[in-house]
Amino acid sequence: MQRIIAQARKELTQIIRDRLALALALILPVGLTALLGPSMSLTVTDMPLAVQDLDQTPLSRRYVDAFATSLTFHIVPLPPGASPESVLIAGRARAALIIPEHFARDVQRGRVAEIQLLVDATDTNTALLARGGAAQITGAFAQRLSATNGTPAIRTATRLWFNPGREPRKFYGPGMFVLSLSIFPPVLAALAMSREGEQKTILQVYVSSISAREFLVGKILAGLILGLGQWCLVLGLMFTQFDLRFAGDPTAFLAASVLFLFCVVSFGTLVGAAVPNQAAAVQIVALGGFLLAFLLSGLTFPIENVPAALRWISSLVQARYFIVVVRDAFLQGGGWPAVWWAVLAIGALGLVYYGLAWWTMRRMQVKA
Amino acid sequence: MTSSWWGGRFVALALKELRQIRRDRRLMMSLIVPPTLQILLFGFALDSEVRNLRLGVVDESRTAESRELISAITQNRTFRLVGSYGTTSGLETDLASGRLDVGVVVPYDFARFRARGRPVTVQVLLNAVNANTAQIAQGAVEGAVAWVNRESELARSTAPSARIQRVVPDTEDALRAYHARTTPARIELRPAFLFNPGLVNAWFIVTGVFGALIILNGSLVAAATMIKEKERGTVEQLLMTPASAFEIVAAKMVPLFVLLMGMAVLALTVARVVFHVPFRGSIVLVLTACACCVLTGIGIGTLISTLAGSANQAQLISFFVNPPFTALSGAFTPIEAMPKWIQPWAHLNPIAHFVAIARSVLVKGAGLDVVYPHLLALATLTAVLVGISAWRFRRQLG
Repeated sequence: MQRIIAQARKELTQIIRDRLALALALILPVGLTALLGPSMSLTVTDMPLAVQDLDQTPLSRRYVDAFATSLTFHIVPLPPGASPESVLIAGRARAALIIPEHFARDVQRGRVAEIQLLVDATDTNTALLARGGAAQITGAFAQRLSATNGTPAIRTATRLWFNPGREPRKFYGPGMFVLSLSIFPPVLAALAMSREGEQKTILQVYVSSISAREFLVGKILAGLILGLGQWCLVLGLMFTQFDLRFAGDPTAFLAASVLFLFCVVSFGTLVGAAVPNQAAAVQIVALGGFLLAFLLSGLTFPIENVPAALRWISSLVQARYFIVVVRDAFLQGGGWPAVWWAVLAIGALGLVYYGLAWWTMRRMQVKA
Repeated sequence: MTSSWWGGRFVALALKELRQIRRDRRLMMSLIVPPTLQILLFGFALDSEVRNLRLGVVDESRTAESRELISAITQNRTFRLVGSYGTTSGLETDLASGRLDVGVVVPYDFARFRARGRPVTVQVLLNAVNANTAQIAQGAVEGAVAWVNRESELARSTAPSARIQRVVPDTEDALRAYHARTTPARIELRPAFLFNPGLVNAWFIVTGVFGALIILNGSLVAAATMIKEKERGTVEQLLMTPASAFEIVAAKMVPLFVLLMGMAVLALTVARVVFHVPFRGSIVLVLTACACCVLTGIGIGTLISTLAGSANQAQLISFFVNPPFTALSGAFTPIEAMPKWIQPWAHLNPIAHFVAIARSVLVKGAGLDVVYPHLLALATLTAVLVGISAWRFRRQLG
């Protein structure tokens, strides 16, 4: 036990003396989360909309006003002589509304008045939002016109659970929390471990009385302490910048956090032990941690959309489980009954990484 | 005479760099493998399309009308019916634990109210944790309900008019007057998705990743080759050659430029062959922008190498530089969706300009007349970055 603590203390001292690594450990997770959390949003509001009004009647102008007053769109002028398509190509508008001639006459006579909406589909998600927004505005406009006819037969009463304001930052905030914790703690652990290999100080470890297990536990303990520091900092950001609160019982979240940190630090140590080259080890951890956590964890885009051939990988990505726990803790508040399986999965993955790291250490020792 | 001297020395130095890069197998690998892998992974895996949301239903009415409504909602691929619940509480439990994304509750008096022509309210419960999904799901449910409403109104209003048409087909004006009195205003929106009618999300992602890839990999490779000279202490040897500082810097940059352009062409080929990204505009324009991007990447890499003392430090510094550059470039999420105070910074981001050019030219078929502001901005940024990095590198030599 004493040897483990001594090992951990040595690791922490090394980190504190390395200014760049310390900055990497403390400033970067906070800075990145603060910067990227609010920026990661797919929901475009206030899209520029070009209008070609071929009808020019009071009714068509009222229809355009309905778009102008909405939060989804703002009207940009269509230069004289320019076609709506050219405005879309130039990127001055995301969509173009074409009101045909005789729009007002058709509406008054009860004929179908067809409005064309050209949407720039380069960005597919924004295109879908534009279509949805335009359809809602048009529906409400038609509703108001025929208000004398009474209310629609079927109405919907929509209740938005967990995030009633539909704030993107409440979704991406927890995502960034997971992302920064799945990059920085393992990178530091990998740096600390591969340095021993690169600078051959590992030989000193071999000749000392410390066992492979004690050495490993000491390293992981130091990584865990650093990770907990980062965890506290980023969590503080969640409470302040992202305005999140625990929705229910946070014990599952606390347990999962410790297990997750153990898991990623073990992963970093494993890579550091397997690759005795700091640059390469960091690259592997960063690429692996970032790519897998970013792409295959449901952090930003739904896992269900990943092709089946790649999707199975996501069940081996610890971030995929942690994100479930974090979102539950901050938004849904289901607690243990909802997320116990995810906590177990994180623990199991952590044990696998620890086992592999231990095995790699043993093998290294035999070789040396 | 001097030009041939210059050429000879320059070519010799450039050849030396080229050989050094070629012999470094890890560097060569990192030029080919990560870009291809990343563009494939991102293109396949990053799909933001909202589809197959898990829908749960409580149908208290259990009538043909209520089933018609539910089938109207599940008709499109936004929703997938995964469960019917006897009670609302069962639905709410599953929604709370994340087993469902959307819940629809049809009241028991649904069919009776409909038959009497009285309005009836259907409850829609949405898990709004993901704001984007919630917005699109809400739009889809309301669209489906509006469709059912319209259909039933049409059925009600056209039934008598069809009769009139059959009896007195030639009194057109009377028919119109009849319509005007009874039918609601019918405004139909006909959306047309230009440039990407199939809504292939990969076109958006691949064109974005492409720009990020060139600059990030460019800077990594450039930093690695530049720092090597410093680490091995061979800078003095370079100084002893008759080559001028400018020649040394140029000879360092040109081979990298050629190799990275090769990487860019490789990435373009993957985009074309695997993802069928349309190449609607001028490919020369895209390659010009690529060249600017490659130079920017080299500039950033060189700058990092002058700031760092070792390869490790260079890599750690790039940790501070790369993520914000990429994430705030609009490559993955639209810049317009970012907070207002961040948006102006995108003008200083070379990736953002490149992504705008690549999307406009490749997908929309835009020409120079449209993209010139971006190209100009990109070229300016390139010139500034390369200038600063070359100056710093030269100072290091001196």
